Parts: sequence; C-alpha cells; structure tokens
Amino acid sequence: MSVPALVVEELYKEFKVKKKGGLFRRPAADEEKVFIAVNAVSFQVAPGEVFGLLGPNGAGKTTTIKMISTLLRPTRGRVLVHGIDPEKEPTRVLSQIGTVLAGERCVYWKLTGRENLEYFGTLYGLYGQELKERVSYLLERFQLAKRGDELVERYSTGMRQRVSLARALLANPKLLILDEPTAGLDPQSARNLREIILELKEEGHTVLLTTHYMEEADFLSDRVAIIDHGKIIALDTPENLKRGIRQTRVVHLEVQEWQDGVGNNLRAAGLISNYVPAYDGAARAWRVVLHLGGETTVGAVLAAYLEMGNGILNFSVEEPSLEDVFIQLTGKSLRE
Amino acid sequence: MHQSVALRPSLLRSILRVAWRDIKILVRYPTWVISLCVWPVMFPLGYLFTYRALAGPQNEGLSSFVQLAGTSNYLAYVVSGTILWMWVNVMLWTFGGSLRNEQLRGTLESNWLAPVDKTFLLIGAALADAAQMMLFMCIAWVEFYLIYGVWWLGSPWHLGLVILASVPSVYGLGFVFAALVLWAKQIGVAVNLVRGTMLIFCGITYPIAVMPGWMVRVAEVIPLTHAIRATRAVMAGDGLGEIAADLWYLLLSGALLIAAGLLALRFIQQRIRCSGTLGHH
Amino acid sequence: MMSRAKHYLRAAGAIFRRDLRIFFRYPVDAIFWVFEPIMWLTPLHFMSRSFAVGGQNLGLAGYTGTSDYMAFLVLGGVIGSYVSSVMWSMGFSLKNEMDLGVLEVNWLTPVPVVIQLVGRSLFNLTHTTIKIACTMSLVWRIFGFSITGSIWPAFLTVLPMIIGLYGLGLGIAALVLISKNANNIIDMTHFMVNTLSGREFPITVLPKFLLGFSLAIPLTYGYDAIRGLLLGTRTLLPVATEQLLLVVVMAISVFSGYLVFRRIERRCRATGNLAHH
Repeated sequence: MSVPALVVEELYKEFKVKKKGGLFRRPAADEEKVFIAVNAVSFQVAPGEVFGLLGPNGAGKTTTIKMISTLLRPTRGRVLVHGIDPEKEPTRVLSQIGTVLAGERCVYWKLTGRENLEYFGTLYGLYGQELKERVSYLLERFQLAKRGDELVERYSTGMRQRVSLARALLANPKLLILDEPTAGLDPQSARNLREIILELKEEGHTVLLTTHYMEEADFLSDRVAIIDHGKIIALDTPENLKRGIRQTRVVHLEVQEWQDGVGNNLRAAGLISNYVPAYDGAARAWRVVLHLGGETTVGAVLAAYLEMGNGILNFSVEEPSLEDVFIQLTGKSLRE
Repeated sequence: MHQSVALRPSLLRSILRVAWRDIKILVRYPTWVISLCVWPVMFPLGYLFTYRALAGPQNEGLSSFVQLAGTSNYLAYVVSGTILWMWVNVMLWTFGGSLRNEQLRGTLESNWLAPVDKTFLLIGAALADAAQMMLFMCIAWVEFYLIYGVWWLGSPWHLGLVILASVPSVYGLGFVFAALVLWAKQIGVAVNLVRGTMLIFCGITYPIAVMPGWMVRVAEVIPLTHAIRATRAVMAGDGLGEIAADLWYLLLSGALLIAAGLLALRFIQQRIRCSGTLGHH
Repeated sequence: MMSRAKHYLRAAGAIFRRDLRIFFRYPVDAIFWVFEPIMWLTPLHFMSRSFAVGGQNLGLAGYTGTSDYMAFLVLGGVIGSYVSSVMWSMGFSLKNEMDLGVLEVNWLTPVPVVIQLVGRSLFNLTHTTIKIACTMSLVWRIFGFSITGSIWPAFLTVLPMIIGLYGLGLGIAALVLISKNANNIIDMTHFMVNTLSGREFPITVLPKFLLGFSLAIPLTYGYDAIRGLLLGTRTLLPVATEQLLLVVVMAISVFSGYLVFRRIERRCRATGNLAHH
C-alpha cells in the first residue's frame, strides 16, 4: 500500500469576524462572530489521481487549499502531503507541491514570462543549465515560447494562467494544487487548459483542483467531493454520484414567465422534488430545472404546469449531471 | 440656462456624498486622523532645530537671518510656511491621487459612466477636500499656539481670508496634477516633483531673497509663494492693504489654474476614450 | 545543510535580479530617484545660507566644531538613506507585494520568508549605495563640501549599524503584516527617528526631554561617530565607545526582530491575513 499523495483529516478553519461599527460607534465584544469556513473536511487523494473539490463560491474550497499549501494554519485537524505534515516541515512540503492560486495576479506583470519562471525556479532550488532548460521546456510546452520574452502585462488572461501553471510545475512536483484554474478564461482557453491538466495526469502527477463548473469537475476528476458551507456533502466518482440520482429524471424548461409560486405548487403536489429557476438575459427567457419525484411522469408534470395557465417555449429531458446532484443535495444551484 | 439648474442638486449631492464618504473612511482609519493632527506639529521640528543649530549657542548666525527675513521669530516663520506646504502636500496625495486610485481599482470607469458632468464631480470633491483641510488647519494653529506658543499679531479673519483666497489655486493645481497622474499613471514621482519644487522655490523654510535671482523669479510665479508671504505678513501684524497684491495674485492664478486643470482633464478624458486605457494599469 | 545554504543564497540572488529588473521597468522612477535627495538638501542649503556670516556657519561651529553645514548634512543624508532603504525594503515592499497579489505565491516557494526579505533588501542596499554616490557627486558640484577624515573606519562603523537596522526592519515588516494601514505609524516613527537622531542638526540643540529620546536611539551614535571620524566634530561619547554600542545594539536588534517577525508570520497564517484585496 503506497502512501497517499494527500491526506486531509477532520480539517477545521474558523475565522473571527469583526463587525464594522457605525460612524461613532465601536462594535461591542459580543458582536464578534466565529465564521466556520471549513467544517470537518476529510478526504484522501491517491497518487496519480485527479481529485475535484466542487462547490459554489465561498464554499470553503480556497481556504482548504491554502491550508494544504501552508498559507493558512488549520484551527483543528491534520494535513499530510506524501506523509509529511505542513505544520512541522513547511519547506519540505512546499518543495513537493505546485500550487496555482486563483486570479491572474500571481506573477510579476513587470517581468517577462521567462524572467518570472527563472525567478521562481531559483526559489524552488533550480539553477544553472538545469533551470534554463526547464524554463525553456515549460515555455515550449505551454505555447509561450514565442512570447516568452515579452512582459506579462501584455499577455492575455489565458497566457497568464499558463505562466502560473508553468510556475507551479517548475520543480516537477508530484502533487499539483489548482484553485479555480479556468475561472475567467474564454471557452477556448479553458478547453486547452483542461487538456493540459489531463496530460499532466497521464504523466503521473496527482492533481487536486477546485472549481465551481460542474462540467469541469465531471470531465477532469476521477473523484469529486461536493462542498457547501465548508462541509463535504458528497464524495465519490462522478459516475457514482450521478448514478445515485439516476431515478431522478431531470426536465429543463424554457418559459417566458416564472413565478416561484408555480414551482412550490408543483412540489406541494408531489410532482417534483426540486426546481431551480435562472433568468437567461440573452434569450429573454427563464430556464428552469425540474427534478421529478418518484413515480411522476414527464407528461404529468407538463400537464399540471400547463393547467396552471402557463406557456412553455421549449423543454428537454436530460441525464442527471453533477449540477443536479448538487441541486438534489442542497436545493440550490451551483452558480447562486 | 435650464441645464445648470438641472445640475445644481446633483452638484450639492455629490459634494455631500463625497464628503460623507471621506469622513467615513477617515474614521475607519483612526491612525490617519491622528497623523493629520500630529504632522503639523512634528513636521517643522527638524527645521526648527536646524534653525537653532545654525543660529548658534550665542546667536552668532541670527543677525544674517533677521536682515533677510525681517524677523527674528523663526518659529512663527517656519510653522506658517510648513502648514501651507502640508496642505498642498496632502491635497496632492488625497485629492490628486484619488482619480489615480479609482483608475487602479476600476471605479473610475463606473464614475465616468454616471450621467453627471465630470467637472461638477471634480469641483465637488475639491470643495469637500478643502473643507476637511481647513478644519485640520484650524486644529494645527491651535496646536502651534499650545505647543510652540506661536500667535499672530494681525487679525485671525485676515488669516482666514488668505487661506480662502488660496483655495482656488491649490485645487486648480490639484486638477492639473490629477490630469498629469492619469496620463503618466504614476503618482509617487509626480507628487515628489511638485512638492519638491515648492519646497525649494516657495520660501517655505527660508527667505527667498537668499536664492539666486533666477530662482526668485520662478518663486514669484508660484501661487504658494504669495500665500506664504501673505500669511507671514498677517502674522506680523500687517493689514489688508499690505497683502492685497498677494491676494489678487492668488485669486487670479487660481482661476487660471482651475481653467487649465479642467481643460487638461477634458483633454485626457478624450485621449483615454480614444486609446481606451481608462482601466489599464 | 551546505546545499540548503547555497539554495538560499541563490534565492536571494534571484530576488535581487527580479527587483533590479522591475526597477528599470519604471524608467521615470529610476531617473527621478537620483534627484530626490537634492530636493531634500536644497532647502536646508538655503537655510544655512540665510544664517551664514561671510559664507561660514559660525552658529553651527559653536555647537559642533565645524562650520561646513553642507558636509554635516550630506553625511546625515547618507546614513539616513540607508535607514530608509532598510525600512522600505523590509516593510513597505511587503505591502506592495500584497497589493500586487504576488506575496502568497512567493510564500509558496520553499524559501523562508525571512530569507526573501533579506534578499530584497540586498538589492535596496546596492541601489541606495549607487544613489548615494550619484547624489554626493552632484551635491559636491552644486553646493560644495569637504570631508577630511578617512573612509574605512567610518565604513566599519556604518556596517554594524546597517545590520542592526535589519532587526528594526523585520519589526516593521511584522507591523505591516498585522496592520492594514501601518503607513502612517511607520511614516511618523521614521520621521521622528530621523529627526531626533540628528540627521540634520547636532542633537545638542534639543530641549532636555527630547534630548533624552534622542540619546535612547542607537542611530544617534552612528551619526555622531561618523561625523566625528570624517569631519572632526566633537562627539557625544568617545568614538570607540559609540562603535561598541552600535555592535551591541546590532546583536540585540537582529535577534529580537527575527523573533517578533516569526511570531507575526505564524499569526498571519492563522488568521489568513496574507491576501489583500
């Protein structure tokens, strides 16, 4: 039995939240609240696995990642990276992981791509010929070689993200930690980046990634932990998670008007278990996801809906996705 | 005509809004309030002790200064110069820099999207800043009296008049400066350049007569020189008649600077609209 | 052990190159930076002129033994520049990195933060030294001054002082990390320390209660000893005593500064104060 690449055990992070006082009033002591950002999170990542943390913004994904990569100290609980405790030997852990933090401001904009990589490479312990070769290889590999000697401030967001990823790979770490790697990228760049992540997996890297895009988690991850309000509410392979709600049929409605009262009536009648409406500004229509309950047929739901005097622009019946798993578990959509 | 009527309420509201926001920020950062009260007293300290050292234990050097400055009270001489300089200095950072900060944060674009004439927004911000700074100057004068024993012989109303007459030129400079900063995208160097020039030329800590002739001529052009001279005259007991020329110069140069500043800002705004670098760092 | 030391040295070198590159990518700043001290010196020069009798500052001579105020001032400026350099590189640059968003990424590398801070101030020291050389020659041309003593004993006096300043710098870095708006506090302490330690004037002109503060600042003895060595001014204590004092203070300051910084760094990791948006 090999040592897991990453062990997270009963991890907690609590922040004290100070309320802002009014103009002439200081907040009283009892107004100090404790905010639990990460609540008893446990999981293990096997070597070579791609593990996804899926959850909406503010669910505690980034906090978890920062605790693993030594930037934050856990309030309670334990982290082991290749059997090493970051609390005890932070530099040893740091030299074995490559972390890409969210946002494009993680590299120096006033340095070129190459200079950035050479700088960080030295900090990761590379030097001389080895450093030069490694940097050239990474620039080449991430299609940055042609513009490697331009200042990062002239790069596109996608290129900056690739520099960040190259930076994380400088020391060729076994464990890669990626925080929202495709956030803010255009669809093409995001697709390229996902392919790179799959290549990295094939090369034997272990990857821990966070995302709030369910397609991404589904596409990339061997296993997914769904996290909400700091807690892991489900953990399994994407297939198993979806299989868990296979008996739930999912109907996507496109309608002109939507009132929550309608959804509540359908639920009260036992026809659906959940509904999540979202307004699509471009199409000037509501897209509503309905989870059908138990024995209900699609026809019965549609008939009931039409009977209430509503119109339907379009509808489709879909395979449950991870998004539906999330809706099933929390009653809300990932993007809320 | 009806247009200016339509804009008046938004001008008033924007002044109040900006002032309220600034005061709120001030109170959120108490260290800033403390420093605004402490700096006027602390800043002249170095100069005061340098004066004392240069005068010598037996006042060996003082006779030369009395001849040039017309007073042996170097204490009053220095604090009156430095307080005005600090006003300009704080104005450059807070008011002149506020546009740059908004540019960096990206809120400049959202402000420029508001259907209000930008000129009114700026004047509102300037008046709000001026009101705040005057409050702090009053505090500073009280502190000068309590700590250094500095008092003026002339009427305090005349002193107030000098300060009021300086407002247009100080904030006119602020407008020009804001345009410069938006264009150059760097505030540190710009502030140092402007305040350094004033520190050297305007006779803040020494009589300008000691400088070579060409420097005196440059000094006479800068409004701050006149503000400082008028302040010192009022403190020495001079009446309105003696400072009238300086006051007129302040008002005139103020009008010119405000016009120049607004023009410069309008120009920059046009340029940015063409090149699209509004939110760029 | 040896390889780790080498790794840290290389890391410090990389930080040095990084800062050097970024410095030259702001060309206006780079040019302006030589002229900035002139802006500080010129008013003081004219002040001394307005008190001069026959071109000599007899008043100053009465306090210190030299009537060459420019030389007195230039030496003060040199030491003052080193003081600011260390304060800047340790304290403010940290905040700058926080604002740029690159602080966390640097902390993710397997190089201790203290080493990173030292690396960055190596650059600052070099750049201050070059700046001083430039301005001194400029000032010498414009205003003229003369230095009589020999450089090496003065250099050996400055050295422990600068190392001691690193301890102080670490303390400031710690302050910057815990306080979001430390600028004002730092500005004020910086100014008071610079003023009261006698950068611009002999501290013997100070009133009694301020003189007490002044004598409690170790920097005071640095300024005093160097002027004694290079200008032959009357010193507060014998020069050798002042030098010994500087060495002792250096040891204490570096040790305690390091401890304070380590504690605050740990605290920041607990409260998650690193990212700054």
